[in-house]
Amino acid sequence: MNSIAELQKKVKHSHKLRITNYDDESDEELVNMSSYSGVVEYYPEELVLTVKAGTSIKIVNEELAKNNQAFPFITENPEQTIGSLYATSGAELSDSVLGVQIVNGKGELLNFGGQVMKNVAGYDVSRLLVGSMGKLAIITQISFKILPEKAAKKFQQEAPIKNKENSLRLIYEAKLKKVFDPYGVFI
Amino acid sequence: MSIISELTKALPKNSVISGEENTRPFECDGLSVYKQKPLAVALPSNVDQIKKVLEICKKNNTPVVTRGAGTGLSGGALPLKGSVVLGLSRLTRVLSIDPEAQTAIVEPGVRNIAISEAVEEYGLYYAPDPSSQIACTIGGNVAENSGGVHCLKYGLTVQNLEALKILTVDGEELLLSRKDEGMGLLALMTGSEGLLGVISEITVKLTKKPQQAKLIMAGFDSVRDCANTVASIIKIGVIPAGLEMMDQFAIEASEAFAQAGYPLDAKALLLCELDGSEELVEEDLNKVMDILSKATSVRVSENEEERLLFWKGRKSAFPAVGRLSPDYYCMDGTIPKRHLSDVLEKINDLSKHYSLRVANVFHAGDGNLHPLILYDAGKPGELEKTEAFGMDILKLCVEVGGSITGEHGVGVEKLDAMCHQYSAAELDVFHQIKAAFDPHSLLNPGKAVPTLHRCAELGNMHVHHGNLPHPELERF
Repeated sequence: MNSIAELQKKVKHSHKLRITNYDDESDEELVNMSSYSGVVEYYPEELVLTVKAGTSIKIVNEELAKNNQAFPFITENPEQTIGSLYATSGAELSDSVLGVQIVNGKGELLNFGGQVMKNVAGYDVSRLLVGSMGKLAIITQISFKILPEKAAKKFQQEAPIKNKENSLRLIYEAKLKKVFDPYGVFI
Repeated sequence: MSIISELTKALPKNSVISGEENTRPFECDGLSVYKQKPLAVALPSNVDQIKKVLEICKKNNTPVVTRGAGTGLSGGALPLKGSVVLGLSRLTRVLSIDPEAQTAIVEPGVRNIAISEAVEEYGLYYAPDPSSQIACTIGGNVAENSGGVHCLKYGLTVQNLEALKILTVDGEELLLSRKDEGMGLLALMTGSEGLLGVISEITVKLTKKPQQAKLIMAGFDSVRDCANTVASIIKIGVIPAGLEMMDQFAIEASEAFAQAGYPLDAKALLLCELDGSEELVEEDLNKVMDILSKATSVRVSENEEERLLFWKGRKSAFPAVGRLSPDYYCMDGTIPKRHLSDVLEKINDLSKHYSLRVANVFHAGDGNLHPLILYDAGKPGELEKTEAFGMDILKLCVEVGGSITGEHGVGVEKLDAMCHQYSAAELDVFHQIKAAFDPHSLLNPGKAVPTLHRCAELGNMHVHHGNLPHPELERF
């Protein structure tokens, strides 16, 4: 997937879509985001980085290292894309998320949060979607708070704990799925 | 039976307040230009009693406005006509402290500073420090995702929470933890301004008290030199515990009030606090001192007393400015720091245009501006002029890629400004999130998110990328 317009069109015209990072364009149901990559904006003095979701962690780390900066969270697989990391992580990562751009299940391009550390306008959708496993929306772009390398090393990613029979939580997750993907496109 | 008698019957004696005179203390929050008396105020003492209030309000289809200490600055706890104010100030127990895990479980009415006091013996504290921390409650902090002067290094409320217990509008307990797998519901609830649920229990993260803290105070000949120094400090890899800027007017006002020894000839003042181990503070101090070449005056706090004195000026900036004017209006926009000089210049231009004085204090480290507009509500039309000035500042913040509110929340105050920051499709998502948790819109309805009609009427509907939901709706 190379352009947002193309992506929106695909969402609008599909019944079922699965978001992946693997190079398999043969399956109609797959949306491959790995080619949608690159740093969108990076100002070291702001401690803010905005990247397209298909960018690999390795590329981002190389870019940040030029200014002796790094993500505040530890990542294991440098080949993983930022979008995939975002979709599968928890609070340790979302603590550093500042904003997100998404295409929802209706094919709308939406922005939540921003590129500033403090922003309490509107519900915190950019952190809500962390860990949403690609089931609510396609994540196209993410802004992160970054840190000097020295400070970043203090943080450790904790392993998430499985939800134990939290049935009420699951009810609200299902309701929120409908908010972002009313037609159930993302499987 | 009326709802007031139902509440009175369900709660212990002296837990329900009603009547024109008795409800007056609850008619506004910290933003006192908006006032409205509620139908009644319910003051439960425990979670079961909160549940009863919710049950009775739901049965009577009566809106509920949850309130902590009422120190909010955006009208988030402003009562609605015919509403019940659910005051949680009596739930003040610290339920448990785990010094090993560095967490504490507290009720929503515990004051922010009281958490730090309760855990002091373990060498710990609760890091977020909104300036109202002696009065504001932790429940209110969670509802607003409150900040403070140490956010750059220690984060906002959301980064300092371990778990929440939420009562849904149906009175069910929803448990959320930062270790949960799945969507970030904990973050969604934080800063939701009382629209999605009632926060009934909070597990906060505690922070080890730093071994040492030193404050550098530097004066500059221009705002630009000061702003450039802020950027340089970040670039060399120092994360100050606090990084604050004040303009000349704010310096003068604060010095007259606090006598902290601020340089009165400076056009801008930088306060840079470094904390951590003695070694780290020394190392960072040397790095920062090396790049202060443009400063016209530099002082480093020699001892704890002096450090607090230097802070006193900044921390009393609001009341200090308040002495110079019958009223003042505090703004709360955020901007990317690189635009600071330009934005402050434009604010000064606007100040001349509206003939209203403005003092600027700025959380420079995290881009949060607090321009204080001085006005006189007694002069006809001056409040309206002030609000127009404020709106221009917020528009400016959005234009440079920032936000209309960094830490004070939207409440009722910034509903119109929300139309500038978000598109109709984005606002629609917010409304649907509200409906997912509160389908009959009983929890603080009408706050935080403007209706699409309101934005359309303003003529300010922010339509980007040509996406407008419900194109069938008539716009007028």
